[in-house]
Amino acid sequence: MKKRFNPIKDKSSEIIEFVMSSPDIPDDDVLKFKLRLSIEEAVENVVRYAYDGGIGWLEADIHFDQNALLLTIELRDAGTPFNPLEKADPDVNLEIEEREVGGLGIFLCKKMMDSIEYRYEDGNNVLTMTKKVNS
Amino acid sequence: MDIKINKEDNKTFVVIDGRIDTTTVEEFQKAANTLMEDENPDIDIDCTALSYTSSQGLRTFLMLQKSVMKHGGKMVLRNMNPQVKEVFDITGFSNIITII
Repeated sequence: MKKRFNPIKDKSSEIIEFVMSSPDIPDDDVLKFKLRLSIEEAVENVVRYAYDGGIGWLEADIHFDQNALLLTIELRDAGTPFNPLEKADPDVNLEIEEREVGGLGIFLCKKMMDSIEYRYEDGNNVLTMTKKVNS
Repeated sequence: MDIKINKEDNKTFVVIDGRIDTTTVEEFQKAANTLMEDENPDIDIDCTALSYTSSQGLRTFLMLQKSVMKHGGKMVLRNMNPQVKEVFDITGFSNIITII
């Protein structure tokens, strides 16, 4: 299931609901929570930062490998080349005074999904996240 | 999402119902801002019906906690569902915000 959104300014919610509406997502509240959180954080990253003023496109693709029981979500954009996985994880053991109010989004994706990969391909940022689904 | 704020004596009771996400975080931020104006705040947030929070919601909880401490007050979050609690645990927020 694939769809391109253009432009993406103020479209985060629409993009998230598109991916979450996939019939391949099992009716499992815990799994859906983790998927929704990962999708929201990844989509917000693109909508907020990939393009100046949010003028640009994002393509969302979700598919399910029935043999491997693997859900794969791929987000593609043509914005500024940026690998979100290069950013260091936040130090979650800091005292409150030292904690900063950002940098948690991609960290949560990493924790909620089984794998997350980035590649730059044909002038596009491509973020691929996978989650194994119990049969 | 729906937020109710009730002040009784010197205590502030907050009930959050629904999802704190990209569409609702602004409303949550506005509610939090009103809570940040009090001196010596004593805030009790009922999270029984809080079904979801993204990192944007966490950011607001952190700002609120920092403000409460600066104003010599206290804040507790109660009855979080296991998924929301996991988000607070993974990010270390459980160590800096009182969850009961």
